[in-house]
Amino acid sequence: MSAESINEAGATPTTRGKTGWRRLVDVPVLFVAAGVSLVTGLLLVFWVAPEEATMGFPYKILYFHAPIAWCALLGYLVAFVAAILYLRSNDARWDRLGMCGVRLGLVFSLLVMATGMIWGRSSWNVWWSWEPRLTTFLIACLMYCGYFVLRATVEEEERRATFAALFAVIAFINVPITFLSTRVLPGDMQHPSGVVEGGGLVGWMYPAFFVSMVGMTLLFFALLRNDLRVERLKEELAYIKNRLGS
Amino acid sequence: MSAAPALSGRRQFWALLRKDVVSELRTKEMLISMFLFSMLAMVVFHYAFTATGDIDLSPFTGGMLWAVFVFASLLGLNRSFVHEKDEGCLDGLLLCPVDRVTIFFAKMTGNLIFLGLIQLLAVPVFTVFFVTSGYWADLSTFVAVLVLADIGICVLGTLLATIAMSTRARDLLLPIVFLPLIVPLLIAATAATTEVFSGDVTWATLWGKLAFLLGYDAVFLVAAWGTYDFAIGE
Amino acid sequence: MTASGGDAAAPAPEIVVDGLTRVFGRRDVLRDVSFSVERGGFVALFGPNGAGKTTTLRVLATLLAPTSGSVSIAGHSLADDPTPLRRTIGLISHSPLLYRDLTAYENLRFYADMYGVEDREQRITELLDRVELAHRRYDIVRTFSKGMLQRLAIARALLHRPRVLLLDEPHSGLDPHAVDILDGLLAEIRAEHTFVMVTHHIQKGLELASQVLILDGGRIVFRQTGAVDPQAFTAVYREHVREGAVA
Repeated sequence: MSAESINEAGATPTTRGKTGWRRLVDVPVLFVAAGVSLVTGLLLVFWVAPEEATMGFPYKILYFHAPIAWCALLGYLVAFVAAILYLRSNDARWDRLGMCGVRLGLVFSLLVMATGMIWGRSSWNVWWSWEPRLTTFLIACLMYCGYFVLRATVEEEERRATFAALFAVIAFINVPITFLSTRVLPGDMQHPSGVVEGGGLVGWMYPAFFVSMVGMTLLFFALLRNDLRVERLKEELAYIKNRLGS
Repeated sequence: MSAAPALSGRRQFWALLRKDVVSELRTKEMLISMFLFSMLAMVVFHYAFTATGDIDLSPFTGGMLWAVFVFASLLGLNRSFVHEKDEGCLDGLLLCPVDRVTIFFAKMTGNLIFLGLIQLLAVPVFTVFFVTSGYWADLSTFVAVLVLADIGICVLGTLLATIAMSTRARDLLLPIVFLPLIVPLLIAATAATTEVFSGDVTWATLWGKLAFLLGYDAVFLVAAWGTYDFAIGE
Repeated sequence: MTASGGDAAAPAPEIVVDGLTRVFGRRDVLRDVSFSVERGGFVALFGPNGAGKTTTLRVLATLLAPTSGSVSIAGHSLADDPTPLRRTIGLISHSPLLYRDLTAYENLRFYADMYGVEDREQRITELLDRVELAHRRYDIVRTFSKGMLQRLAIARALLHRPRVLLLDEPHSGLDPHAVDILDGLLAEIRAEHTFVMVTHHIQKGLELASQVLILDGGRIVFRQTGAVDPQAFTAVYREHVREGAVA
C-alpha cells in the first residue's frame, strides 16, 4: 500500500508536510512546561518552605500528595465529561479520551495511596488508616479497575464504548457519595487533616504549594495528550493491519 | 391498536413482572440457591469470628447481616436476565413497543421481591444465631432500613446486571463492578443495622443514615432512568 | 428503486430504506443501502456471511440504530419514537424468542400484554388453532420440538397483527416436515403482509419473492424485481459475490 492510499484510508498525518512553526506542535511543550514547574516546585519545597510546627519535615510530602490527588480526580472528571459527550454523539474519539482519563486517574490514585502511606508511616507509624480520603481513593481505584475489566469483556467496539461511558458516569457519581459515606460512620478519623483543610498554610508554603499544583496539572495534561496520541496511533495501526490482511 | 400509553405501560410492567416471578417460582432454582447461600455464609461468619473462643459478636452483627445479603443478592442479580440471555429472548423483549425504563422497573421489582423473600426467611435465622438483644420494639425501623437498602441494592444491581449480561464474562464481571459501587450503601446500612441490633436506637443518630440511604437510592434511580436505554441496547 | 408495476397512482411504499449506513470508527457494516417495498411485497435478501443482511434486518426491526440514512415502515420513521413502529413489525428469527419455562399460553399472553393486544384471549386461541398447537396450550415450552417452537414463534409474531414481517433465516435447523408447515403458514399469510426475508436458501427465497437483493460488503450489488429464474440467479450470485459459495 502506498503512502497516498494509507492517507486516503484516513490515517492522520503527523509532521509530514507541515512547515515552519507548525512543526512546533510535536515539540513536547507541555512536558517541558511541566518539568520546569515541577523542578521549581521541588526547589521551593525543599529549600524555601518552612517546616511545619507539629509535623516537622515529613509533612512536605503533602506538596505532592495533594496535587496528585487533585489530578486523579481531574482524570475521573475528564472521563465523566467524555463519557457524557460520547453518549450524546457516538463519536469514538470521546471514548478514547474517556479511557485515557480513567487510566491516568488510576495511576494518580495509586500514587495518592502510596504517598499517603509513606506519610502515614513516617508521621504516625501506620501503613494504612481507613480515613475518608484514603478509603475513597481505594474504592475509586477498585471501581475504575472494574472499568478496564468491563472494557476487556466486550468485543464489539460500539457497545464497549457505550458501556464504558455508562460506567464512567456511574463511577464518578459514586466518588463523592463514597466520600460522604465514609464520614457517616463514626470512628476511625485519626488522620489529622488540619493542613489540607486550609488551616495551617503559612508564608512560603503558599507559593510552594501553588507551583507544585500547577506543575502536576501540567504534567497531567502532558501525559493525557501523549496517551491520546499513542491510542490513536494504535488504532490506526490496527486498521492498516486489517486492510492489509483482508 | 392505540391503547392509552399510560395504561399499557402499567400492563406491560405487570406482564414482565408476572413472567419473571412465575418463571422463578416454577423452578425455584435461584431462590433456593440464594437461601442456602445465606445460611452457609452465616455459618462461615460464625467460624471466621470465633477463632479465639466464643466472643460477643454484637458490634459486628450489622456488618455480617449486610455482608451476607450483598453477596447473596449478587447470585440473584446475576440471573436478572438469565432467561432472556440463555434462551435468546432478549430480541423478543426489545422488539416490543415498551419503554426501556419499564423493563428496568419490572426487573428491579422482581429482584426486590426475590431478595425480600430470602430476607423474610434468613433474617429470623440470623437473629437466632447472632443477635442477643431483642429488637422487636424497633421492628418497623429495622424493616425501613431493610427496605431502603434493598432498593439501593436492586436499583444499582439491576442496572449493572443489564450491562454485564451483554459482556463476555457475565457472572464474573458483575461482582467486580457492583461491589465497589455498593460500598457507601453498605456503610450506611451496616451502621444503621448495628444500632438497631444493639437495642438502643435513637432517632437523632439514625435519621442521618436513613436519609443517606434514601439519597443513595434516589441518585441511582435517576441515573438508571437516564441511562437505561443505553444499558439495554440500542 | 420502486417496483409497483408502473402504476402511476401507486400507494406509498410500505417500507422505504434510504441511504442506510452503519459505521463505527472506520468499519463500514452497511454502506448506502436503499430499497423500497410496496405493500404486500416480498423482498428476499441474499449474500455471503458478514455482508450486512442480518444487520439490515435488525435495523428494520429497531434493534440497531443506523449511523445515517432513513428508514420508514408503514409510514412511521425510525428517527422518531420507535414505539409506534414496533407495533407494526413482527420478527421470525431462527431463534424462536420464547421462554422455555413458561407454557405456550403464558408465552403468548406475555407478548399479547406487551403489545397491548385488546382481544387477547380470543387472539391467542385463534392463533394456536392456526399453527395447530391448541392441544399443547398448557404445556411447558421446554418440551416442544424445534418445529413446534417455530410454529409457536409464528403465532407470537402474528399476535399483534403486524403489517410487516421480518424473517431471519426462518428455515434454518428445521426438519423437512417442519419446513413444510412453515411454508404452508407463510403461503397462507402471504397476501396480508409485507415481508423482508434474509435467507441462504435460494429456492425458498425466489419462490416467494417479488423483489430480490444481493448484499455484499455492506452494499447492494444486485437488485431485481419480478420473478427470477433460480438457475439464472445462481449464476448471477456467483458473478456478483466475491466468495461464491451458495446454499
